[in-house]
Amino acid sequence: MEAQRSFIGVIVKRGFQGIVAAVVLWLVTRYLFHFPPVFQVMFVLYAFLGTGVFILLDAPSLSPVSGFKAVALLVGFYVVISLVFIAGASALPQYDPMVEKGKIEKIVKPKLAATEKGKIDELRKRTEELDAESQAILKRLEALGGEKAKKIEASIGGPTAGAAPRAVGGNLVALGKEQYDLQECYNCHKIGGKGSVKKRGPVLDNIGNLMKPEEMKEKLLNPRAWMAEGFEKEYNKKLMPDKYKELMSDQEIDELVAFLSTLKDTSVQTPKPIKKL
Amino acid sequence: MGGVLKIVLVVAGLLFVGTAVAYAQLPEPRAHEFPYLGNRGAVWIVAQLHILFAAFILGAPIFVVVSEILGWKNQDVRYERLAKEVTKVTVILYSMTALTGGLFIFVLLATYPQLTAWLINHFFAVFAVMYPLLFIFETIVLYLYWYTWEALQGPKKLRHIALGVLLNIIGLATLIVIDGPTAFMNTPAKFAEGGMDLRTFIETTATLWDKMNNYSWWPLNIHRTVGNVVFGGFITGLIGAYLYLAAKNDEERAFYDWFGFVGNLIGVGALLALPFAGYLLAYELCDYDASICPYMMADQLSMFFEMQGAMVGLIFLASNYYIWLSMKRIEGLEQIRMRTTTLVLMASIPVVFMLIWTKFPIPDKFALILPALWVALFLIAGRFLKWTVGAQTLVKVAFLMVIIGNAIWMTPHAFVATQALAPDDGSLSLPHGELSLGFVTISWGDLALMPAKNAAAFTLVFVTVVNYILYNRALRRGRIVWGKIDFAAQFVLVFLAFSAIWTMTLMGAVRELTRKYFHVFNLQYDFTPESFTPTLAYSSWVFTGVTLTFYIIISFAIVLTLRTGKEKAHAEAPKGMPAVAGAE
Repeated sequence: MEAQRSFIGVIVKRGFQGIVAAVVLWLVTRYLFHFPPVFQVMFVLYAFLGTGVFILLDAPSLSPVSGFKAVALLVGFYVVISLVFIAGASALPQYDPMVEKGKIEKIVKPKLAATEKGKIDELRKRTEELDAESQAILKRLEALGGEKAKKIEASIGGPTAGAAPRAVGGNLVALGKEQYDLQECYNCHKIGGKGSVKKRGPVLDNIGNLMKPEEMKEKLLNPRAWMAEGFEKEYNKKLMPDKYKELMSDQEIDELVAFLSTLKDTSVQTPKPIKKL
Repeated sequence: MGGVLKIVLVVAGLLFVGTAVAYAQLPEPRAHEFPYLGNRGAVWIVAQLHILFAAFILGAPIFVVVSEILGWKNQDVRYERLAKEVTKVTVILYSMTALTGGLFIFVLLATYPQLTAWLINHFFAVFAVMYPLLFIFETIVLYLYWYTWEALQGPKKLRHIALGVLLNIIGLATLIVIDGPTAFMNTPAKFAEGGMDLRTFIETTATLWDKMNNYSWWPLNIHRTVGNVVFGGFITGLIGAYLYLAAKNDEERAFYDWFGFVGNLIGVGALLALPFAGYLLAYELCDYDASICPYMMADQLSMFFEMQGAMVGLIFLASNYYIWLSMKRIEGLEQIRMRTTTLVLMASIPVVFMLIWTKFPIPDKFALILPALWVALFLIAGRFLKWTVGAQTLVKVAFLMVIIGNAIWMTPHAFVATQALAPDDGSLSLPHGELSLGFVTISWGDLALMPAKNAAAFTLVFVTVVNYILYNRALRRGRIVWGKIDFAAQFVLVFLAFSAIWTMTLMGAVRELTRKYFHVFNLQYDFTPESFTPTLAYSSWVFTGVTLTFYIIISFAIVLTLRTGKEKAHAEAPKGMPAVAGAE
């Protein structure tokens, strides 16, 4: 009873200290350090975690249990920690898979189409579609006959050929911007202040004035060919992956180059490219 | 009878593998759709379960042999009994490893036949020759090791220990061999010979060694070996906890209290090296392809790492709490004191080391020299400044530092699922329209960078080492009664094992997901509809499901092998009477 009373005293004391610590942390992170609200919440939660830990440190010993009670306690414990872990993981911000699915569709689909299996699948699909279409037309012809049938016949001769050309005129730049996003160039480079948090690759805002399109293409196909001034360490560490010649088609490279060539913002200091090979 | 069943299970596992290898040679194997779970989910669960069993059967024998040697050298029957009981569980789980391994390759082949066939063709010698041979050899040695335990005692003890060492060598070789294809999937050869492109090189001239000896092979070997020991240690702690809860008398409680303590000591001891082994693996992945790094730390997987930070913090808190509970029952603890300089050093590490590593990033030589000088300064000062603090004060400051260290570890640039296109000004607009919860301002941005994380990791490790030094001092000077530990300590052991398994499944998923929409990074596209990164929330259900399944199986193994065979155990248990702790 005495131990129980003294533990309640510990909880009250530590609880009070915890609340004081939480308030101080909240005030400091908000007004002194100007952390965003979610960080203030995080630090307050840490204050409460600390409070819990310090209460546990002074907690009296737990009375032993055995048999069925021990098993029930264990099962209950597993349920609680399982739910806490799932809740913790679910409470964190979640990346929307739909965003990535769209990206993957654009990158992976053409690659699948290029494989033998992809070509066979595509042909099979097309054959099935044409077969279904011709069956439908035959049925309609049988039902209608005469002038109407001719009109229908004329109408089916058209747009069954291939897809429209990939890029026309100004679309090339837009497609190049899409390639920049799909290949996640922003993970190492910055354009308009958006991109890599760490210094991995140079900003590209004025790259259109510093490199000719064929030089950009050379850099993409062989990253060792050019180095950005001030990026000796990154160049020597071969940070820029030498994989785009294999992962991107010639057309995709041209699109990306077309987009990069339009970047001519002289107000942003862009490292000078140096020819290396 | 039990032995026959185990052998049948192992043989069944090997037959699965053999059949799978043969099936992979068929010209056009067809993919099947796995109901409910989906193909990825099915492979994920079976593979993870197999890895968990494998981790235990590879990690446990390492300290089993060490324990046997300690028991033999010090004539301490407790070590011998610990080694024997852990081996008994290992033998059961060995069969489960073989069975889940076979099942894994079967499910993989049924759901991803093209990829499996491609992998088997590229690593035919590994899958069809080396791995099965090593597995058969390991099975023979493991059963020899187990069944000759009684026969090879006394003057023949060294022969038994030699068998245990051989078992570990084969186990390690098996791990290293199978890590080759695993690491290859993440980091296939980087530089093709003669200016060839990577795909042509791999498909034509690359030798088996070119494929095995890839960027992340050795880091993965090191990481898995250390991780397996951590895992084995915590599972040993779990065995101790279960049997302590089921103990019928003081003698049993005394033994299983000690058993759990040793398991935790091994787990924590190896855990101290784990963050650095993990860092090495991440470093090599990033060095292989710089785009992997932001994908892990700043893009789709950034919140997986946030969760990892939370789990590591909880594991360190729990392991230090266990030390505290162990220490609390030592009589005379209040007389134990340590230098105040140790306390100041402990409190200074997060900030000072962060500043040093920001200015001189690892592997700069000053990144090692300056922290070493800082520690040396306090050690020297401790020689002259005689102020001391009590053990309880030191432990409480240590806990505070674990919490602060973990808070630093957990501080990201932003609480967003991806910060890939984070604007310079820290404004809240995000590229994919996801809910933004704010960025730390540039002036505090260093808290979110690797130097801060390294300093935080070092703080957690340092604090734990200091706590163990303190505990050791208390053991030498005080009196300890085994079996009289706070009952809550058993739940801490259970929690540690559960959290370690959960974290292992989390980080395993991270390593797999770094391949993005490739089966084999940059080489084999994943054309299936499940090639996207799953959400952390969905993944956490899988982690928990796998952990619980593993727990149910291992709990049965413990109960079946140890509780039912208890009456046969004839090793003498230590007495539950008070003993001078330092006299051990």
